[in-house]
Amino acid sequence: MLLPCPCHLAETGDCIICSQLQGATGCDCANWKGVCIYQEYIWNNKKAKSGRKYYKCSIIRKTNFSENTIILTIKAPEILVNNLIYPGSFVFLKNPNTDQFYYFPISIMDADIQNSSLTFAIELKGIKTKKVNELKIQDEILVKGPFWNGVLGLRNINNIKNSVCLTIARGIGQAPLVPVLKKLHKNNNKIISILDKGNYNDNFIYEYLLNYDCEIIHCNTFENGKLTTEFKELLIDILLKNNIKLVHCSAADILNYNVMKIVENVSESLYVVDLNNINEIISKSNPSIKFTCCNNAKMSCGEGICGCCTRKNKDHKLRRMCKMQTDPKYVLEGRRLF
Amino acid sequence: MKVIIIGGGWSGCAAAITAKKAGAEVHIFEKTDMLLGLGNIGGIMRNNGRFTAAEEIKALGAGELINIIDSMSLHKNLDFPGHKHAWLYDVNNIEPVVKRHLEEMDIKIHTVKRVVDIEKKNRKILGIYLCDGTYIKGDVFIETTGSTGPMGNCLRYGNGCSMCVLRCPSFGPRVSITKRAGLEDMKGERAEEIYGAYSGSCKLSKESLSEEIRNELNEKGVVILKVPIEDIDMDKLSKKVCQQYALKEFAENIILLDTGCAKLMTSYYPLDKLRKIKGLENAKYIDPYSGGKGNSIRYLSCAKRNNDLKVVGIDNLFCAGEKSGLFVGHTEAICTGSLAGHNAVRYLKGIRTLVLPKKTAIGDIISFANYRFLKKNDKKSRYTFSGSIYFERMKTIGLYTTDIDEINEKISNLGLYEIFDNKLI
Repeated sequence: MLLPCPCHLAETGDCIICSQLQGATGCDCANWKGVCIYQEYIWNNKKAKSGRKYYKCSIIRKTNFSENTIILTIKAPEILVNNLIYPGSFVFLKNPNTDQFYYFPISIMDADIQNSSLTFAIELKGIKTKKVNELKIQDEILVKGPFWNGVLGLRNINNIKNSVCLTIARGIGQAPLVPVLKKLHKNNNKIISILDKGNYNDNFIYEYLLNYDCEIIHCNTFENGKLTTEFKELLIDILLKNNIKLVHCSAADILNYNVMKIVENVSESLYVVDLNNINEIISKSNPSIKFTCCNNAKMSCGEGICGCCTRKNKDHKLRRMCKMQTDPKYVLEGRRLF
Repeated sequence: MKVIIIGGGWSGCAAAITAKKAGAEVHIFEKTDMLLGLGNIGGIMRNNGRFTAAEEIKALGAGELINIIDSMSLHKNLDFPGHKHAWLYDVNNIEPVVKRHLEEMDIKIHTVKRVVDIEKKNRKILGIYLCDGTYIKGDVFIETTGSTGPMGNCLRYGNGCSMCVLRCPSFGPRVSITKRAGLEDMKGERAEEIYGAYSGSCKLSKESLSEEIRNELNEKGVVILKVPIEDIDMDKLSKKVCQQYALKEFAENIILLDTGCAKLMTSYYPLDKLRKIKGLENAKYIDPYSGGKGNSIRYLSCAKRNNDLKVVGIDNLFCAGEKSGLFVGHTEAICTGSLAGHNAVRYLKGIRTLVLPKKTAIGDIISFANYRFLKKNDKKSRYTFSGSIYFERMKTIGLYTTDIDEINEKISNLGLYEIFDNKLI
């Protein structure tokens, strides 16, 4: 990819991976990702490598899915599209007539390498999205990318093969689900998909669900700030009967959290000793059902600078959610309030 | 009763053998695809006091690895400057033999499994995490991750990654378990406030040497060539790990030993200078691949431990090899490893751990290294039976001997004969 480590965080001793670039005098590579960032930094004359670029793209399709949601397809440079095919990929978008505060993060629903295009579903919620909605077909749009941290627990999605997976999506959460389905399908997983249209009249990802051979179940998941009884029963039933190995939830954090707790409980009750594996693995740290979810952190710069997305958990670790991959439990639970 | 060993080098293998013999279920987790770690490029055994230690470990009942090494020796009773009766094993063929031996003993070996973190409760480790997120429970743990590298350390304290046999860029960097457990690692120094030391030797491809040198090497096991006067670099001696080879002769001469490859007894040597020497015009490094530029940096991560090799601060963690102090060499790794493996099972059984008496060379080096490091704050000395200050000490206090019967008798008199052979659980 175009974005090698080290980035600007290394220059100030704030690298999210390398202990030496956090000010330590020795290596502690628990989060090593395949290259020695410290070495790259020294060899680059103690300078960050050039970061993400802003691309001028053009809108090629724009449909109104509902009153406040548009589906937008843009033509983008091949190099950008090629790097946005993974689960969790996202970019920042902006109307060119506005200044830099107008960039907002948006998940890739589909990255089409053949046509070099990107498709997004955008809910028109505030100033920034509404400004983008002012653009018409053939208008120019500014894109900053690529970014990849839109899913928490990514490695579980990447590693799972030949299993049965359950996905849950509600409302606009359907959009970032699509690349996840694509990956799960590619790795020969059977997918059961619970769809909740949320506040819409219908769902907008049928086409993809069919492409990836998903078994679709419609269900109203959430009402009055709580999971519906119908959904809870359905969820537990599916988990117990289908030997589910992974649950991915693409919705608001409150839904993600409640689903995670149910998955944890069921997972613990299902705990089995896998004799073929190296040994007994305890359930809490290595559950029989993995849980992943979308990353709902608010973001402004995407580069770990602005502080908008930082979370501090009870483990006292500061996480920059725009860049730092982590398991959902560290984000959804144990938030420090002081 | 599960013993988990982190690191499959010589000390990890030795610990596995004694823990297994004592009756535990033993698992080795190794980050690369081969056991023995730096043992794959070592080769020198039984020189000077190492002879005594090798025979002691046999008498103590953990002679398996020594016997394998002896059987794989290419040259026996070889002398080279400062060193007597060295045995050189074949580094190119030893690993599979050791691996098979361990497998036959029903020791579970997990290669390409890098351990990156632990789960801890109070003063006890509950389990380890592999880099893919897998969690594995254990009852007692032995850290033999060594103290060498990884790349960032070799860069900060040396000339950068020289692509050594540890192959960090391919298999991922070593992670210090004691550090993950919240303990502070101690660093050795090569000079005041200069941390770490270079590995002390390289390997050249024998095929790249002149026929004359190759034949001499195969026949005698050692070849000594003069270094051109303008290239003699005395300063380099102080940077080496292996103080037993930091002798004037090693700066003025190129010393090659036959360990299956041509072992070049200097930490690194610029290739263009090396090729000025007659017979080495086509010389090629095979470990580290960039031996013309640098070598791996060691002694950056020693644990604070007791003389039974239990890590101070954690109840169920033992350590061995370089992790347990500023030790140099395979014999030293095997000795500390054997004791750590045995003591780990004693801990499981709830009986008192074994501290080897100072009347044995092994017991003495373990306590002496600790004494110098912790009490005297000596971070510059390195401890090996084969030379430098410890061999001097061995000779002074009468521990050095090559009389096998005498060694056996001494171990018997101490009531330790074949003690590592006892099944405890």
